Amino acid sequence: MTESSQNLIAVLATTALLLPLISSAVVILATRRLLFKATGVFTTAVMGLSFVCSLVILFMWTKGSEPIVHNLKWIPIPGTEAGWLHLGVMIDGLTVAMLVMVTGVSTLVHLYSIGYMEGDKRYNWFFAYLSLFAFSMLGIVVANSLIMLFIFWELVGLTSYLLIGFWFEKRGPQLACTKAFVMNRIGDTGFLIGFGILFYKLGGNVLLPAAEGGMFDAIKQLIEADGYSITRPPMWLTAAGIGLFFGAIGKSAQFPLHTWLPDAMEGPTPVSSIVHSATMVAAGVYLTGRIYPILTPAAHLFIATIGLITLVMAACMAMVMTDIKRVLAYSTLSQLGYMILGMGVGSYAFALFHLISHAFFKCCLFQCAGSVIHAANHEQDMRQYGGLGRKLPMTMACYAVCMVTISGVGLMSFSFFSGFYSKDGIIAGAVAYGDALRGWGPLFYWGPLIIAYVTPFYMARSFALTFLGKPRNQRLYDGAHEAPYTMVVSQMILAAMAILAVPWIMPFWFNLIDSSRQAMVAGGVSWVLPVDHHGLAHGFHIVHNGLLYGLAGVVMIVVGGFMYKDGFRYSSRIVALPIVKPLYTWALNKFYFDELYDHVTVGLGRLVAAIMNAIDEWLVDGLVVNGAAWATKWWSFGVGRFDNDVVDGIANGAADMAQAGGNVLRATQVGRIRAYVLLLFVSAALATLLTVTVVLVVG
Amino acid sequence: MNPLFSIDLHHFLFVSTILVGAGIATVLTKRNAIGILIGVELVLNAAGVNFVAFNRYAWGGGPPSPLMAIGEPGQPVTPLIDGQMFAIFIIVLAAAEAAVALAIFLNFYNNFSSIDVEKADELRG
Repeated sequence: MTESSQNLIAVLATTALLLPLISSAVVILATRRLLFKATGVFTTAVMGLSFVCSLVILFMWTKGSEPIVHNLKWIPIPGTEAGWLHLGVMIDGLTVAMLVMVTGVSTLVHLYSIGYMEGDKRYNWFFAYLSLFAFSMLGIVVANSLIMLFIFWELVGLTSYLLIGFWFEKRGPQLACTKAFVMNRIGDTGFLIGFGILFYKLGGNVLLPAAEGGMFDAIKQLIEADGYSITRPPMWLTAAGIGLFFGAIGKSAQFPLHTWLPDAMEGPTPVSSIVHSATMVAAGVYLTGRIYPILTPAAHLFIATIGLITLVMAACMAMVMTDIKRVLAYSTLSQLGYMILGMGVGSYAFALFHLISHAFFKCCLFQCAGSVIHAANHEQDMRQYGGLGRKLPMTMACYAVCMVTISGVGLMSFSFFSGFYSKDGIIAGAVAYGDALRGWGPLFYWGPLIIAYVTPFYMARSFALTFLGKPRNQRLYDGAHEAPYTMVVSQMILAAMAILAVPWIMPFWFNLIDSSRQAMVAGGVSWVLPVDHHGLAHGFHIVHNGLLYGLAGVVMIVVGGFMYKDGFRYSSRIVALPIVKPLYTWALNKFYFDELYDHVTVGLGRLVAAIMNAIDEWLVDGLVVNGAAWATKWWSFGVGRFDNDVVDGIANGAADMAQAGGNVLRATQVGRIRAYVLLLFVSAALATLLTVTVVLVVG
Repeated sequence: MNPLFSIDLHHFLFVSTILVGAGIATVLTKRNAIGILIGVELVLNAAGVNFVAFNRYAWGGGPPSPLMAIGEPGQPVTPLIDGQMFAIFIIVLAAAEAAVALAIFLNFYNNFSSIDVEKADELRG
């Protein structure tokens, strides 16, 4: 690739990044009255332009080319080798894939929102926020250094907060956006700790590993100078990796901090479809992929464990939820768990490929859910649905396609659906990892393998409850209607992409990601699994056996579909069984995580507050403030006494003395001039006499 | 020169002493403001006599001579008449004083319809 085309790519990436920011600013500043109705079309058009830029980059990009890095000097750090913090763009295969995916999905969600948000009184603000979000997300994608990534990471958190709380008049969104923000801050604390370690060790400039002179090479030199090696790394590197991954835990809503994501469904559905399924929550996976080279084996184990816990737990919860968006939210959690597990077990390329395919099918699923909610007059409870397929045939078709995709349906290790390839790759990597780990290693592939059966089941459940059977709420059914064409078109394109992203139709998705993996391998990263690794092939074999060569999805969809075709007729009986009931209640209450956090964290907070209150009341108020007041009071009393008695006494005494002296002297003031003159001459005579006497006596 | 008839310094001092005594006595005894003014004039002129006499006898008791001077040989001499100058100043001062005093008396008269100083005792303590 020539230098001029490299420069062109960098310029195009920057343009794609800045276009949404500009449109957001324009919408905020200019269109309050002027273009209120047209903001949707305008921002969609600008986002489309950004998408076109990304497409041009995609077509200019040749497989396996060197990463393009453009650094701008930003903040000087004296005394270091680099001397500067850098802002800029770093573009490699993964960036290109993410760029095209984010801009594409974002354009479609903008398009979808034109219909969905119609009639909202803050219509223009919604698009401003949405474009701002797209800008922030693209910033994460093209960031060249960890500090720039973090800036956009926080911007994404902010826009997520704004968008969840878009309908802030209601109590639910208020609480949900605050919860999301706080949960993300907890994760970001870890991010900052990890970043701080790297910042300290690398002397400031923490460029991403894929960039030229990135942190991987710097760390390698650093630890090899200390006698460590990449396979036997020092403790701080593990700590830094896990710290940074905590940011991903927060953003991708992984196990300890997962509770914010289902609550975030309080936001408008287009927001859920892009921010909380397709892009922002996947940013955690992207971050893990970006810092992948510096993750040590211990960090990998940690990441894999977190992913495993999340994917199992969330799938269990998704089975019992009745709110259609919450089912999808837990499904998103579960799929993110798959990606994180993939990252942990070293199945780098498949985890990121799952990110891409998941973005398409989950965004589509959320948009379908949005269409249903739109049709059902903002009713989200699936117990009120049923038979809506007859009223929304296009939405049902799109939902069905994506359901099949997420289920990983295939035949003899061949499939028309992208989810099959990505998920199989992750589980195959888990098999290789679990085999190598021994001990409790098999958990790492039994978990995802079993959940691969659960996923089709809960998706079929939501599908059947919504679209099949008889209407359970006749009034709602009668009022239902197919969504406006902007929404349907968007859904259909996404559903088509869920199919088209398979490697044998659109090979570039996987190849772009794989080129990043190859670059890492070439750079000396030893714990990334190659695609054609013997162990991975072995893993595929086991996966395909375990999943009946892709038929598991079909089986479970059929089971789920029949079970819930007529509402809760069968499931209510199963739930009533004494063995199932406690488990059901447990899952329905989200494993009591919210209550746990409420009691432990909030209780701890209250305890700390009580202690602080006691300290404040007794020590600060009692001893310091009141003591100081007491001391001041007595001191001022003393000073007052001193002032009144001593100072005033002196002043009065002086005055009295002057008065008395004056009284004595006034007697001499007779007022007769001749008396004064007499006195004058007598005293002059006496003075002369005295002087003469003294002179005579002394002299 | 016959010392019996020679006029010496103490003769002048004698005169000035008498003048001072007369002046003070006048000031002390007169109630008329003009009289007091005359007494003050006597005291002042006693001082004037003293100045002239001391100037005359400070330089050896001889007759006053314009040649009695301090100066480099061959330079024009300056007669030493400081005392006389003071006497002239005193005369001028006495004239000025008389003018001011008479103005004061006029005001005094306007206020008290008299120039009896005994009446002016408003500053009595």
